[in-house]
Amino acid sequence: MPTRIAEKLLLQRQRHLKWRALDPLEMILMVLCGLLLLGFSATVTFDIVTREIGHPWLWLQEVTQTFFIYAIFVGASVATRRNDHLYLTAIAEALHGTPRLVAEIVIRLVVLGVACCLIYFGYINFLRGFTSFRMPSMTPIASLYAAIPIAGVLIALFTIEQLVNGCRNGFDHPEPREEAGATTPPIGSPPERRPQ
Amino acid sequence: MTAPWILALMTVIFLALGYLGVPVAFSLMTGVFIGAAFTDVTFPAIVQKIFDGMDSEALLAIPFFLLVGELMSSANVVSRITNLSLALVGHIRGGLSQVVTVFSMFFSEMSGSTTADVAVISRALGGPMKREGYAPPFIAAIIASASTIAALVPPSITAVVYGAVGNVSIAGLFMAGVVPGFMIGFGLMIYSYFFGPTGMQRPRAPFRDVARAFKDASLSLMIPIILLGGIMTGWFTPTEAGVVAAIWILAVVIPALNRPHLKLLPYDFCLAGMIFSLPLITIGAANAFGWLLAYLRGAIMIAEWITKLAGNDPHVIMLLMVLLFTIIGDFIEPVPTIIIFMPLVNALTTAGDINPVHMGVVLIATLAFGLITPPYGLVLLMASKFVGVRFSQALRAALPIYVVFFGTIAFAIYFPKVVLWLPKQVIPESVGCFKNPSGAGYICP
Repeated sequence: MPTRIAEKLLLQRQRHLKWRALDPLEMILMVLCGLLLLGFSATVTFDIVTREIGHPWLWLQEVTQTFFIYAIFVGASVATRRNDHLYLTAIAEALHGTPRLVAEIVIRLVVLGVACCLIYFGYINFLRGFTSFRMPSMTPIASLYAAIPIAGVLIALFTIEQLVNGCRNGFDHPEPREEAGATTPPIGSPPERRPQ
Repeated sequence: MTAPWILALMTVIFLALGYLGVPVAFSLMTGVFIGAAFTDVTFPAIVQKIFDGMDSEALLAIPFFLLVGELMSSANVVSRITNLSLALVGHIRGGLSQVVTVFSMFFSEMSGSTTADVAVISRALGGPMKREGYAPPFIAAIIASASTIAALVPPSITAVVYGAVGNVSIAGLFMAGVVPGFMIGFGLMIYSYFFGPTGMQRPRAPFRDVARAFKDASLSLMIPIILLGGIMTGWFTPTEAGVVAAIWILAVVIPALNRPHLKLLPYDFCLAGMIFSLPLITIGAANAFGWLLAYLRGAIMIAEWITKLAGNDPHVIMLLMVLLFTIIGDFIEPVPTIIIFMPLVNALTTAGDINPVHMGVVLIATLAFGLITPPYGLVLLMASKFVGVRFSQALRAALPIYVVFFGTIAFAIYFPKVVLWLPKQVIPESVGCFKNPSGAGYICP
């Protein structure tokens, strides 16, 4: 079962833009997303429970915030490799040949530029973060800001991967039909029962 | 370079890159970085604003509501809710178009996401509608229109973002969204009855079948009760209600309805953990964009234009805001729109002495309408893709349905007492009421 989940976590779409060497990284980041979500779900639950029994653990909110912020940046990084980000519309995908190549390269260069800004200016913020502290643990806020340059590095890495492979193999590849999602039985049919 | 030119440059860069195919978050960030280069704002300050946009406790509700939506799909509840909707309204003229609307009214109260709704409804009812002879453009139009209900009724993610960014009560927005949300639902049912295809004639389901359908769907129908009940009684914040709903699905619904799926739960968590980051990173980028817009006095400039035209008349201010948000909503998604223009919304809410919850609901309804209007009606685009019909055809079929939205938005503007009635009864503080110091009850502005 874990193997099956691991296979499902690795997106096979746009395989021609990916290096196999980075597949384990995508899988690790996806697992990390799940663990972080599980982590802050658990801390919010404990927060409710400890508050209701009259013994609130204040540090739980700090842990929740840490998991939440890291989950956003890790998720945004891995979404870059999977091309899962939110798009207005992709005119580039309607193009073919040289115009498509140029548009796709421009898109990746823009993302790469933003990633470099996140790395450099995020690092400056990280260094400044050692002078501010989070309550009640008095941990430097740099512990949170570190997520920004880390995400910048990952986004830059995945963008370079797509640029290199796109220039080498072309961006315009027919995609295999996506695996059909959960199928719905015909309407009016009885819902599936749990085996007795 | 003067402030209006910088703002124009930022906007053009954002739209040009966004429509080329750069992810929304990155096109927003590029616009902000380039705009900031012409001001005295430093780049680390921009990165800080991106971070601040995400660092909000209220936004924690988003991953939980998305997790609830993901787990609901895994819990095998779609067919149960479809059967329930069919038993309730399948016999009414319009047939499956009525079922689509009622299904959306149920499912919206669990998912909170228009895009999740459109995907689920298209998959569940798109095929059967085609087989029964409904025209594909109409199928796409009715599914897309019904899916917009999710933007208004609790646990609407749009309302969570609006509340978190605008410092407006999220619980108040949830409650106030119920009336316009159901107005759209019932409006679509009336439209389907009088103007839609007749559909296949079905006999009215006997009471026993309706009761059985309710019983089959009862575990999943507990989710809106947990969400609304927890928030209305003040037991939970919206974020905590999301956690409790997720625990309910994990501990009760999935084991009862789809036990084999328990082994695949780690996959659901990993996927939901990645998916929730997508709107959040966009929120961070939009926050920096909105902050720079406010810094360059863009919000004040637009607010001055609007108040020059409208004076302090709240109705005219709201009508102009609806017009502005309809135009913006045609190009940008609701979440970045809300964040970018929140300084403007706040300025005009104060100028017109409008209740912030009332303004919020009207604007959210407008942005929901923007999801089915050209050129970038995201939900209509998705529905036409799922149904397999050209966007232009789906758009033509959707045009007459716009009447339902015009009616709802106009009603929400001119009848604030009706819209705010529910939050006033349930959570009076959420709409600015305060406890009467000399006795029982509340004093409401």
